[in-house]
Amino acid sequence: MSTAQIRFATLWRREVNRFMKIKKQTLGGPLLETFLYITVFGAALGSRIKELHGIEYILFVIPGLIMMAWATNAFTNNSSSILQQKFQGAIQDQLSSPASPTELLLALSLGGFVRGLMVATITFVVSVVLVGLPVDHVLVLIPALFLVGFFFSQLGVLIGVRAEQFDDVAFAQTFVLQPLIFLGGVFYSASLLPQPWETLTRFNPIFYMISLVRYGFVGYSEISIPLALLALAFATAVLFAINLRLFSAGYKLRA
Amino acid sequence: MSPNAPGNAGAHALHIEDLVKTYPTGVEALGGVSLEIRPGELFGLLGPNGAGKSTLIHCTTGLAQPTSGTIEVFGHDATGNYAEARQAVGLAPQEPNLDWFLTVEETLDYHAGYFGMPKRERRERTRELLETFSLTEKREERTRTLSGGMKRRLILARAMMHRPRLLILDEPTAGVDVELRLELWHYVQRINEEGTTILLTTHYLEEAEQLCSRIAFITGGAIVAEGTSTEVSERFGVSSLEDAYLALVGRKELSRSHIELEAEVEA
Repeated sequence: MSTAQIRFATLWRREVNRFMKIKKQTLGGPLLETFLYITVFGAALGSRIKELHGIEYILFVIPGLIMMAWATNAFTNNSSSILQQKFQGAIQDQLSSPASPTELLLALSLGGFVRGLMVATITFVVSVVLVGLPVDHVLVLIPALFLVGFFFSQLGVLIGVRAEQFDDVAFAQTFVLQPLIFLGGVFYSASLLPQPWETLTRFNPIFYMISLVRYGFVGYSEISIPLALLALAFATAVLFAINLRLFSAGYKLRA
Repeated sequence: MSPNAPGNAGAHALHIEDLVKTYPTGVEALGGVSLEIRPGELFGLLGPNGAGKSTLIHCTTGLAQPTSGTIEVFGHDATGNYAEARQAVGLAPQEPNLDWFLTVEETLDYHAGYFGMPKRERRERTRELLETFSLTEKREERTRTLSGGMKRRLILARAMMHRPRLLILDEPTAGVDVELRLELWHYVQRINEEGTTILLTTHYLEEAEQLCSRIAFITGGAIVAEGTSTEVSERFGVSSLEDAYLALVGRKELSRSHIELEAEVEA
């Protein structure tokens, strides 16, 4: 391995090691939460709502839950990790190393990405075993999930870098991210909403992410898939570029 | 690049020219500092709190961005060619900045990894420094459970981990017991004799006098005196570094010779 590869691998390993050391909180909690959603909205509510657009209700809900798990874990992990390291001053050890802004940003991003991937994968496997979750369009599903994971990893980095106190991270998660995810159609179909809610839902970017992932799993969509994939890729690239600019300038990282 | 790569032949270990640092709040911490440290020197940077010592160190190590001026570490531009410059520097900061999630052993291993050291070399170097700093028994403990003295030992070991050619010690003995202080100075002298250049800031003037081949006084973001301790003392027209320091901070009345003289007059 070259010195650059060793450096990047160590930066990334530190991020994974951090959440693995507190896995009850970082993996156990999110998994329990996801399975509670599946139980409540799938099993309990599903006994009353049999189908949505010809798809069994529980299968309609699970793709959104998998996306939500990946997104929230990627976001929470990265925003918390960066803020904690800033708070402890431990990030100075990385900032004073020869690592480039790109290496630092990618390593910090991939920590949350991997945590989200782990929670989403376990949820997926359990869903396949218990309720027979299908994968109808794997070529849409994989890029969609990876882009969603990377987008929210970047968003977590952005909030973590900007944050000056833990309240800033909690605010972004509780008052911005969670409402957007819940109102993005995880548990329902936007087309069944009365106006103006249906139109408003279409202004929510999370709606398009959920729709992409749902299409990948069960083949149902209310949007243009190629356009949504393109828009998601573009938004992720823009967010990455913003973060890279912040890291290069040392914004709220270097005095 | 190897930590021991030579850089530019004949270059200073640290060459700072006209360094200005103004924080976004408008506070000018450094107002055009110039400084040269030769390879192999043990150089003392002394000054009161808020004089600009830590800001100068942070600019050198990439933790702060200079407003203007140049910094070169063994001939490598610390902003433009930062990877080579940072590879050559080890920093033991004033404030403990350990990662709470890591154990003592992981702290050293990860630091070396950030500097591109291969696994086998990391393992050997970790073992060696754990032994040197009497941390072997604590190697599996999380850093947040360590005592203040142990944290200080770990910070020093971490700074040495990638075998830096320029070691920056920012008040390394602040709040440590006598035993560790002596251990540290013996170690610092040893590695300096082996060729490591050292930049030291401390409030213990007698130690700076004994250890450092050259000293600079910094106050208000400017270097006001530089040379051997004798040269610096002469510059202030006094006989000791402590008196020179008290003259610098405008507290001559605290000088031991002044107090002794007053006592004699009263007697």
